[in-house]
Amino acid sequence: MKKSIVLIVSIILAFSFQSCNENMPVIPCLTCDDGGGPPIPPEARKVVIEEFTGVRCVNCPQGSAEIENLLAVYGEQLIAISLHAGFFSNPYPSQEDFRTEEGTQILDFLGQPLGFPTAVVNRKQFDGEDDLQLGQASWGGYIAQELNTESKFVLDIENDFNSDNFTLDVKVLLTPIEDFTGDVKLTLLITESGIISRQLTPDGDNLDYEHKHMLRKIVTPFDGEAINELLSANQTVEKNYSVDIPLTWNPAKLSIIAFVQDAGATKEIFQADESKIEQ
Amino acid sequence: MKCRFYILLTVAFAIIGQNLFAQENNQPNPQSVARISGSLESNINFFFEDTLIGATNTPQYDRQLYGADTWLQLNYSQYGFDIGVRFDLFNNSNLLNPQGSYTAQGFGRWFIKKKVNKLGISVGYLYDQVGSGLIFRAYEQRPLLIDNALYGARLTYDLSEDWQVKAFTGLQKQQFDTYDTVIKGASLEGFVAGKKEDANWSIAPGIGIVTKTMSDAATNTVVNTIATYSITDSIGAKYNTYAFSAYNTLTAGRFSWYMEAAYKTAEVFFDPFAIKTNRDGSTSPGKLVNRDGTIFYTSMSYAAKGFGISVEGKRTENFTFRTNPFVSLNRGMINFLPPMTRVNTYRLTARYASATQELGELSYQIDARYKASKKLSFNVNFSSSSDLDGLTLYRELFTEVVYKQKRKWTLTGGIQLQNYNQERFETKPGAPIVETVTPYVEFLYKFSRKKSLRLEAQYMSTEEDFGSWLFGLAEMSFAPHWTMTASTMYNISPTKRTNFNDIIYPRFDVFYTVKANRFSLSYVKQVEGIVCSGGICRLEPAFSGVKMSVNSTF
Repeated sequence: MKKSIVLIVSIILAFSFQSCNENMPVIPCLTCDDGGGPPIPPEARKVVIEEFTGVRCVNCPQGSAEIENLLAVYGEQLIAISLHAGFFSNPYPSQEDFRTEEGTQILDFLGQPLGFPTAVVNRKQFDGEDDLQLGQASWGGYIAQELNTESKFVLDIENDFNSDNFTLDVKVLLTPIEDFTGDVKLTLLITESGIISRQLTPDGDNLDYEHKHMLRKIVTPFDGEAINELLSANQTVEKNYSVDIPLTWNPAKLSIIAFVQDAGATKEIFQADESKIEQ
Repeated sequence: MKCRFYILLTVAFAIIGQNLFAQENNQPNPQSVARISGSLESNINFFFEDTLIGATNTPQYDRQLYGADTWLQLNYSQYGFDIGVRFDLFNNSNLLNPQGSYTAQGFGRWFIKKKVNKLGISVGYLYDQVGSGLIFRAYEQRPLLIDNALYGARLTYDLSEDWQVKAFTGLQKQQFDTYDTVIKGASLEGFVAGKKEDANWSIAPGIGIVTKTMSDAATNTVVNTIATYSITDSIGAKYNTYAFSAYNTLTAGRFSWYMEAAYKTAEVFFDPFAIKTNRDGSTSPGKLVNRDGTIFYTSMSYAAKGFGISVEGKRTENFTFRTNPFVSLNRGMINFLPPMTRVNTYRLTARYASATQELGELSYQIDARYKASKKLSFNVNFSSSSDLDGLTLYRELFTEVVYKQKRKWTLTGGIQLQNYNQERFETKPGAPIVETVTPYVEFLYKFSRKKSLRLEAQYMSTEEDFGSWLFGLAEMSFAPHWTMTASTMYNISPTKRTNFNDIIYPRFDVFYTVKANRFSLSYVKQVEGIVCSGGICRLEPAFSGVKMSVNSTF
């Protein structure tokens, strides 16, 4: 009996240690260069990260800081949108309400998160995830995964801002790289950065917190405008919009973002583009 | 999943058919007698929006108005085979995500088990654990929708009457899918007792090993995430993690001592408190780290006539063990770390609870019971939890006196004192330690063998968080069928933080039990709360509506 036990223990220990010497994955350093390099081509894949936040969300600033890190790494290929929506977004007394009706609709459309910080990357449900909402730890990995996929479209924004009457004319050019047969929708929205306002942080209330990439308005319906034109390879579909910009917004800090998404079985974003309103 | 179930049904019918044919020709032996058993649990919620208490802004309150969760388990035994299948249903369920809505249904579990002499064979969705669960526990907890069944195979072999070896491999269940991390493990457990006639001691030793191997996709996500870190924060990553534990229960007369020690090799996990250097030179909390972990757990108990005492202690350091670094809260847990505080049952004494800290915790608990006479008994419990730097996380002193007047009435009373580190548990910056004093009393009066009345009253006094609360309950039972309960909770001295001034939270329940069936109907208004763990906050929304449930065993 004792011999059997010794034998079993030996087998278990041998079994445990036999594979300890694995070939470990090689980790590249994306932060080791200064971000310079050749300009990205028009067909380069761009990825959208939609962060859900709120002025009363104590952990959200660390998520926002992580997005800034990722923007520094991926540059123009990453497009950030911060949506003030959900339980933690109720404004403090006398504070501007950063919530928008469309932002709340998008939160409902994409699904409520389990916790904060949270973000959705390209509105895609990744393997092994319960839903579209992702915790901070995985954003960088999934963004890299999406950037490694082929672009299906070239998306380009041309805009003309009239600073006299605060009107913005936008032309969105959508060009399939190959024939595309599925249903797609186009979303056009405006974000603003450089907004100084109160935010709860782990160090307490920060009255001078800088809110970035804040969703201000969705020009199209919140879930996008259906593209009914035939999507043939290299045939550009043009969409034009005109937007009145409120005087309280700072044109120098406004961006216009367009993305095309699956209108079929998923909500996945295929391609996106971002342009400053004041070039 | 459907395909697997059809295969299972085919196998089951083949066995049943063979048995029926056999019974026509032979006398049935005990093992050939087929046995079917099962259970049903069904919960139905109707949501009534109430903006005053914050029961709003979830899909259920906004438009769905209804949600249901149901589990139906069927077990079939014959010829030493145990075959089971479970149908799970979630319609607009808020169990998976209290703020969201989850709809899915299908076969949530199946298994086949067979003992061939000394060899035990199990396949399917399996519940099991190694030791006390520190390195592996596959279990189900329906109120939190935890279902960590191992979808795989398990073999056991009886080396002797008292010694058994076990090995298992599989994937962890994720609702109606599985995580792609491979989990495998083995354990050896035994039992040795004193051989002399008057020997009154025994030991039950065991060792266990569990390994997890992350998929290429999950590892790539880890690698790609670490790649975005600055050089000072960059860490290595591995596919495999190994966890070992050794445990033993010593019993000597009235004394019992369980101890378990576990070690986990270095792996990548998310530490919400680790400081990360940002691109612009600033820092912020939260990053992936690569560390090994340890945990020590022990419990001792001594029981004598009218007296019993138990002591538990636990030290945890970096012992988060999940399917991948990106799951949080109650998702993807491979192991189970036992809580070291009393499980309170009264409404107000259970309002503040100490959450298990995976990354660092030193805690202990002492529980003493004394029965002075047939009428009078006492219970005192003290528990304490701190982080590894000595910061107090939780302390509780709970006392209870029970007086039984024959079979006519029972009076239970006591007081609970708590210190609750709200800043840490709920990540509320600057929140003071919540200090509570909660006296409570319960009176049970039996009018007859069938008719009884139970009354509860509790008062939680605190100047922190939402302030003081009052709770009262009356329950009338007409055995064996009917139980009716009415209760209410009231924020009697709200602090400036609360939004709940002058709101009463009533609850009415009716339970009807007939044989093995139990039905309940409840009208509930329940206060909301935020639960945070490891830097992740989760809103447990207020509830307003009607709950119905059916439980049945057959």
